[in-house]
Amino acid sequence: MNVVSRGIKNALRSPMRSGAIVLMLAISIGLILSMLVARSSVNAKITEVKSSAGTSVTISPAGVHGFDGGGDPLTAAQITTIKDTAHVSSIVATLSDQLTTSDTSLTPSLELGLFGARQQRSSTDSTSSTDSNAAAPADSSSTETTTTRQAPTPKTTVTGTTDQNSVSTDGSDLVLSSGSSIDGSSSDLVALVGTSLATKNSLKVGSTFTAYDKTITVKGIFKTGNTFADSGLIMPLATVQTLTDQSGAVNSVIAKVDSSDNVSSTVTTLKSSLGDKADITSQVEQAAASVSSLESISSLALAGVVGATIAGSVIVLLAMVMIVRERRREIGVIKAIGGSNVKVIGQFVSEALTLTIIGAIVGLSLGIVVSGPMTSSLVSNQSSTATTQAGPGAGGPGRMFKGGMSQLSSNITQVTGSLTPQVFAAAVGITLIISIIGSAVPAWFIARIRPGEVLRTE
Amino acid sequence: MLVVKNLTKSFNSAGGEVHALKDVNMTINTGEFASIIGKSGSGKSTLLSMLGALDVPTSGSIQVDDIDIAKLSAAKQTAYRAKKIGFVFQHYNLIPNLTALENVMLALEFGGMPASKRKARAQELLTEVGLDEDEQLRKPTRLSGGQQQRVSIARALANKPAIVLADEPTGNLDSETGKKIFDLLHSLTRSENVTIIAVTHDMDIAGKTDRTFRLKDGQIVIEK
Repeated sequence: MNVVSRGIKNALRSPMRSGAIVLMLAISIGLILSMLVARSSVNAKITEVKSSAGTSVTISPAGVHGFDGGGDPLTAAQITTIKDTAHVSSIVATLSDQLTTSDTSLTPSLELGLFGARQQRSSTDSTSSTDSNAAAPADSSSTETTTTRQAPTPKTTVTGTTDQNSVSTDGSDLVLSSGSSIDGSSSDLVALVGTSLATKNSLKVGSTFTAYDKTITVKGIFKTGNTFADSGLIMPLATVQTLTDQSGAVNSVIAKVDSSDNVSSTVTTLKSSLGDKADITSQVEQAAASVSSLESISSLALAGVVGATIAGSVIVLLAMVMIVRERRREIGVIKAIGGSNVKVIGQFVSEALTLTIIGAIVGLSLGIVVSGPMTSSLVSNQSSTATTQAGPGAGGPGRMFKGGMSQLSSNITQVTGSLTPQVFAAAVGITLIISIIGSAVPAWFIARIRPGEVLRTE
Repeated sequence: MLVVKNLTKSFNSAGGEVHALKDVNMTINTGEFASIIGKSGSGKSTLLSMLGALDVPTSGSIQVDDIDIAKLSAAKQTAYRAKKIGFVFQHYNLIPNLTALENVMLALEFGGMPASKRKARAQELLTEVGLDEDEQLRKPTRLSGGQQQRVSIARALANKPAIVLADEPTGNLDSETGKKIFDLLHSLTRSENVTIIAVTHDMDIAGKTDRTFRLKDGQIVIEK
């Protein structure tokens, strides 16, 4: 029997007490592993979200939100300002309009539904009330106003853009199921038709339809998988500007910044140059706001790791101090019969190590089981906060873009706790630190016990 | 041969300096059985701890076979205790979670005996002091007081020490068992040629030893 085997034997000397120590240790080691897993998973997610956020800056006229709100479109001069801003590598400008059945020969493919009907009722209400006031103010009455209300009709959205890919909802290039691309910088009377709208109106490549009293030729059919987008039209920007008598006007500009590091400064420059005429948002800023709750989870997890490490060390330390005090006489005897300090300390360190290793095996198994659910629970508990924080930032100018952003936000809550070998190694390393701290102080106590005590206490 | 010269041990206490031992001189020949008697606080245990290199004297020398153990380094004192000294305590002081056999083997380990030879040597010693095979594999709590003291004696003799120091070896035993233990120690002195120094209260035992030293207030007052 040597020093190590005596230590192991001593660790199992009092099963009840050793069991309690092992259990407490296991809980703290399990917590360390879970927190390390949560931290690394959350950090990986933060990096992923930040890197996927891209370098786009969206500029929309102040007060405009999709087709809601009010304000003046951006002018050609403002677009030039944006284009000339430092670090802006390229811009995509869009001007959207909605075609009623009186503006076009197309039948809208989008059903109004309860939501659409409500939206349209409120807008026709205001129109008809203005009309009746202007025509015959004396005869107007609230009853008449109500009776003049028209039945709501679905509309077709037309997007004039310099780059057809800006309509794609997932950030990739627009997928054409047939036909070819249109030149965004031209002013040809051509259009790309969403697959739903094309089916509804039996349109094919080469077909024509009427809009704004002009004959438009279908150049291609696109499919995004987004019902709203697939029920619309894409035309060159200049074409829409001419057809709607809004020369040079746009209601959304997406500027690409040369690198993600320059996004914040570019946003600041644009805000000062455009003043209160435009609302400016960037995905990087939104992503930063969205991941701030994840960052707080990450720091929380780090605090958890530190706390559990301290707790684990204190448990081993106090247990070993208690054991050393209790076996003071025994240590005296071992020293009296010729046991050196190194041998006695070695025996107690091996005892502490045995307890820590058993605690680590139980704790790491516990950690493997609970780290996944714990990470999910940590993240989902914070998800309401995440949504609130992302809310104001995610208010993008276009509905499609906004949809893309909320998709990004919802991805943030989908953090899966994954145990990597590095995280496991870190947990094992921390456990080793615990046993070293837990043994160092008792070792000092042991070294101070004099063999003579064995006689003196008798 | 053990030669103690002008041995003094002082402690600093709240009430000033306390002299536990004052100028003690004694000589004990190899193979002799000596006893030290005296009242509580007379300095018996202090003297024993000096002889066993458990404590360092304030002044004076303790020569064992011409080596002054008082001047050895801590590490050398540990080695000296392991190889040259055997201890027998009043409360046996066996390691509670080791069997009788393992307790003896522990002393052999500290004495530097190779692991392969320890078990046979420990069994031989335990048989010699009167423990059968079954008893050798028991832990101290499952042995009687007399049996525990036998294990303790076997442990003390494990490394063929020059001196066995016994602190009240029969103090915790009934008179009959105490007598048997004394006889065992006595016979071992003869067969192994070991010097035994026993601190005792028992005048019967003291009367049967080769030499007796009486301590009073840290000084040897009677030597016979």
